[in-house]
Amino acid sequence: MKLSNFPYLVQKEIFDNMKTTNLFWLSFASKNIKKLIKSSQAKRFRSISRITYSNFVNKWYVGIPFKSINMRTMEDCMEMDTIMTMSEDFDGTKHIFRLNVSGKKIGFRVSNEYPIPEACFPPILKARAFKAIHNYISDFFGNTVVYQWIAKSYRFFIPQLPNLSLFVSMFVHPLENTEVLETFFASYPEMKHIHIQWDELQLISPESKFYQAESIRITQYRSPTVHAFLRNFKGRQATLCDCECGFVELIKFMNRWRSGEGSRELEYLKIMTRSFSTNLNGVLNANWVKHIDAAKKPPTHSLTDLSTPEPDLKPNTDPIISHTYIVRESDNRVASISVKGWNFIFGVWKETEEEFLRMVE
Amino acid sequence: MSSTEQGTSSAAPAEPTTAPESAAAPEVPESFYYVHGKDKVVHKVSAGALQHSALIHGMISNLGYTEEQAKANPFPFENIDGDILQMVVDWCNQHKGKPTPPEDTNLPKQKEKLFDLVLAVNYLEIKELLTYCCKQVAMMVKGKSPEEIREIWMIPTDAEDEAAEKEAKKRAGKEAAGETAAAAGDAK
Repeated sequence: MKLSNFPYLVQKEIFDNMKTTNLFWLSFASKNIKKLIKSSQAKRFRSISRITYSNFVNKWYVGIPFKSINMRTMEDCMEMDTIMTMSEDFDGTKHIFRLNVSGKKIGFRVSNEYPIPEACFPPILKARAFKAIHNYISDFFGNTVVYQWIAKSYRFFIPQLPNLSLFVSMFVHPLENTEVLETFFASYPEMKHIHIQWDELQLISPESKFYQAESIRITQYRSPTVHAFLRNFKGRQATLCDCECGFVELIKFMNRWRSGEGSRELEYLKIMTRSFSTNLNGVLNANWVKHIDAAKKPPTHSLTDLSTPEPDLKPNTDPIISHTYIVRESDNRVASISVKGWNFIFGVWKETEEEFLRMVE
Repeated sequence: MSSTEQGTSSAAPAEPTTAPESAAAPEVPESFYYVHGKDKVVHKVSAGALQHSALIHGMISNLGYTEEQAKANPFPFENIDGDILQMVVDWCNQHKGKPTPPEDTNLPKQKEKLFDLVLAVNYLEIKELLTYCCKQVAMMVKGKSPEEIREIWMIPTDAEDEAAEKEAKKRAGKEAAGETAAAAGDAK
């Protein structure tokens, strides 16, 4: 009995009862089957917000993250519906079968870790294999899905592919050559998020693509480099943890933002200082800082957090409910300012001052 | 309630024997209908059990048969094998008036039987049973490689699909040519 003998609605019902991983593998059976899955499962695929590629030891995992309610299975614990794995082929061609992946023949074997096939390729063909696999995946799941490559080091292999957001963690050796980093940043001009720990960030050129990442998280940032960062960052969101930063630095930054000199794209900035003696409240004394009547309730500023590839864990930036704000002169847009202890949070609104004040209760 | 007997599709069935029913006896007398498959074996099924089938339920609503008329005119399902219809009838009886459980483990394990059951259930429009069957069909390929899935579900390769498409086009072309020739002949 052939699957094709079933009416379309029965085929759809069967596919509806299959896990996405199994549907993915079924799609390799033929072009017609792939077409049928894509058309019958369009609604399911539209509901997938992200597909991630992540690396662990010498293996890459491609999966659909989900929020786990219980921890019954391995997948629940990983909060990931793994579609496939990929690895460099170190043990010859044992038990390998070949599949046509976007016009390229790629070897697969059944993984002993998961009951799903695993793509395997010689290291020299890695870039080509990743490209073919990513093209196949993005064609299958469609362009409503965000594809994320999560790299734990800038020294690991990261493919340069269109339609692939890069989230990279960089724990840089103190003596690292700046050129190595500059070359890395230049290679991936559309970086989504960088998490970096390096005391010599001031050595990075102000024109570097580093400052153009959409979101940056910096840990242990020394005082001389805070100024460079605040001056040069052109992205949307930044969090500086465990930093050395005084209120004078922050006043300079706010003044630049207010005059429209810099940080035009900035939406959110959080600075957590480690200088317990620093009195950040000084930033509120600048004469252009405006205050909302203490008896009134200001609106809450919160945005989708771009720093995490796992938005289920932390979907939004920390909320800002503050009575203090500044206004950008060029377009009259508002930024709320919150100072609590050693934390400074700056949240830019889409609204003009007039619109913002209408939201005050 | 179900019973079977050997009969013919045209003749009225002899009095069927009744099997014990799983549901509690209804207070008002229940009406019964009769169905048979390819093997002409007639099954006596209560209206309550047949409610699972949207197709038969619709037929009953439209026909307004009396018990006698229903006995004389069993619903013929010539496209369904007798043993498959028996499975369907048994399932409808077992689940008469009861909420359906999330899973059904009593479905056939053999691939061919399961596939035939899917087609029958789809034809008879028994939604819950169709869902169980489709779940079971889906489970057949869990964790299988594309080649294994192809074997289990007999999926043609791209080359086979292309050849079949070519053949279909050729046939359609021939048929069109034949029709044109026939039309020309008629015109003369």
